[in-house]
Amino acid sequence: MQTVMIMKRRFLFAIAVAPVLLLAPVPGLAQQAAPAAAKKYTPPKTPWGDPDLQGIWPGNMGVPMQRPKTMGERTELTEEEYAKRVDQAQKASAADAVEVAPSDQRIGIGPPSYWTERGKPTRQASLIIDPPDGRLPPMTPEAKAIQAKTPAAWGGKANWVDDVNLYYRCVTRGALGSIIPVVYNNGNQILQAPGYVVIRNEMIHESRVIPLDRRPHVGSAIHEYLGDSRGHWEGNTLVIETTNFTDKTSIGSNGVAYNGEGGRNSEALRLIERLTRVDDNTINYQATVDDPQTWTKPWTILIPLKRDDKYQFLEYACHEGNYALKDILAGARAQEAEGKGSK
Amino acid sequence: MRFSSINLMAVALFLLAVPTVQAQAYRAPRAADGHADLNGIWEALNTANWDLEDHSPTPGTMWETGAIGAEPAGQSVIEGGTIPYLPAALEKKKANFANRRTNDPEAKCYMPGIPRANYMPYPFQIVQSPKGILFVYEYASSNRFVNMGKPQEAGSDTWMGTNNGRWEGDTLVIDVTGLNGLAWFDRAGDFGSDNLHVVERFTRTDRDHLQYEATIEDPKTFSRPWKISMPLYRRVEKNAQLLEFKCVEFAEELLYGQYKKK
Repeated sequence: MQTVMIMKRRFLFAIAVAPVLLLAPVPGLAQQAAPAAAKKYTPPKTPWGDPDLQGIWPGNMGVPMQRPKTMGERTELTEEEYAKRVDQAQKASAADAVEVAPSDQRIGIGPPSYWTERGKPTRQASLIIDPPDGRLPPMTPEAKAIQAKTPAAWGGKANWVDDVNLYYRCVTRGALGSIIPVVYNNGNQILQAPGYVVIRNEMIHESRVIPLDRRPHVGSAIHEYLGDSRGHWEGNTLVIETTNFTDKTSIGSNGVAYNGEGGRNSEALRLIERLTRVDDNTINYQATVDDPQTWTKPWTILIPLKRDDKYQFLEYACHEGNYALKDILAGARAQEAEGKGSK
Repeated sequence: MRFSSINLMAVALFLLAVPTVQAQAYRAPRAADGHADLNGIWEALNTANWDLEDHSPTPGTMWETGAIGAEPAGQSVIEGGTIPYLPAALEKKKANFANRRTNDPEAKCYMPGIPRANYMPYPFQIVQSPKGILFVYEYASSNRFVNMGKPQEAGSDTWMGTNNGRWEGDTLVIDVTGLNGLAWFDRAGDFGSDNLHVVERFTRTDRDHLQYEATIEDPKTFSRPWKISMPLYRRVEKNAQLLEFKCVEFAEELLYGQYKKK
């Protein structure tokens, strides 16, 4: 598995790196490539000696999951593309600040949309960093067959709850999905105690308690939306290996996908997450999705998480306040009743 | 190594003294924050989630499941035995009880609130970090972060409340405010309002037990503050870990079944 990090990507462009270096750890690469730029960062330690990743590290909205095909293997935006992204973010923020909707606007999520978290624009071209074109690898024929049988992206069909995705149902966004930045409530909190790391996600409200004692996974008959996670330290990097997934989650650009969209994983999914604190305020979160029943090759995403001590981590009582799902179903039944009446 | 007779006497006295000292004042091991170590997976072993008060066994509301759905008997965990409801609140409790099969927030897979989260029939894990203490509950993936720093005022009301913690000796005291009053205390319909104030005390009494106490105050609902207490037991299995109990799916038929396309 490649250990590709954001620093490394910069060096890839600074110099023409020989392919063999792709497998080199970042510090080594840094030393060979650009000694002056490579200040080795040593993260603080917990009182019991583990690298300290604790804090609130919200996701940053604005980087698409997949890269536009036209960009090829280019991992960073040009100045011109970046200026466009900044401009779009500013327009979105300005729209969020509008207090009252014009009378002809259809009902949506605002105004006011003061609750949105638009994030700080970055030059990262796509969350997917491997394959090198930043795009999902082809699906297996089996996965394609399942996708073809499932109704395509939700377009209003609502016979029952399973016509709507797990996010709308407030079940979960999954282990990886919960870290993929969205438009609001992006809080991720990391806490540590001897033998454990906890990753807590604000959206939906998840806490993955990850044992570090190298115990075996739970039995293969147990399946979980967030899977069964085991962690260990490789130097200063926390490596989490997660198995025992359900096949009900889908990994999409919003953390979940609509039913029938690509991204539904199988029970064979093995998720490898690598969390490296690269400076006081940044954790590079990298996750490799290895699911040979769904994708023909593993793929990897990179999400730089920025520390925000002032971030207000709120209770996200999603299911408890889920009027939307009830209204989607009740609305569909009401429309049917109207249709019958007119016949 | 050689012992003088005085040393031997001292050792003997110490050995004699140890059992008494242990019985009276167990000293918990220290966590990284220097305080008593409460880390672990804990679970209540009683019927408080059925009914905080004394209760006889009953067939329950789920006759379809026979004895599986029946309610076991249990003794009150309340100091003084009963909850000091104001008259109107007692009427509401009775109505809750009558409609408990469909109205108990547990049936709907809603967050359990405080104090109920601690005595549901699911384990929970205390993660005592130097940055604060996280309670992770298996039931409904609910959790609450206990702020151990400067106390914070509650913002908007929530299910799990605003949790400010402090240490009184080796006892973790959590002051819980900002509760929304939508959670119940048990399957018998006991409840509080959005005025509810809960002060919890967690004391480790030996390696495998926490003593849990909660003082419940709510002048809109009760004529005086009242207190529950119970032991919590460590899950000592070598492979003990929280598993997933995401129950939303299990509640969808109950909540939305009437809107399903026929």
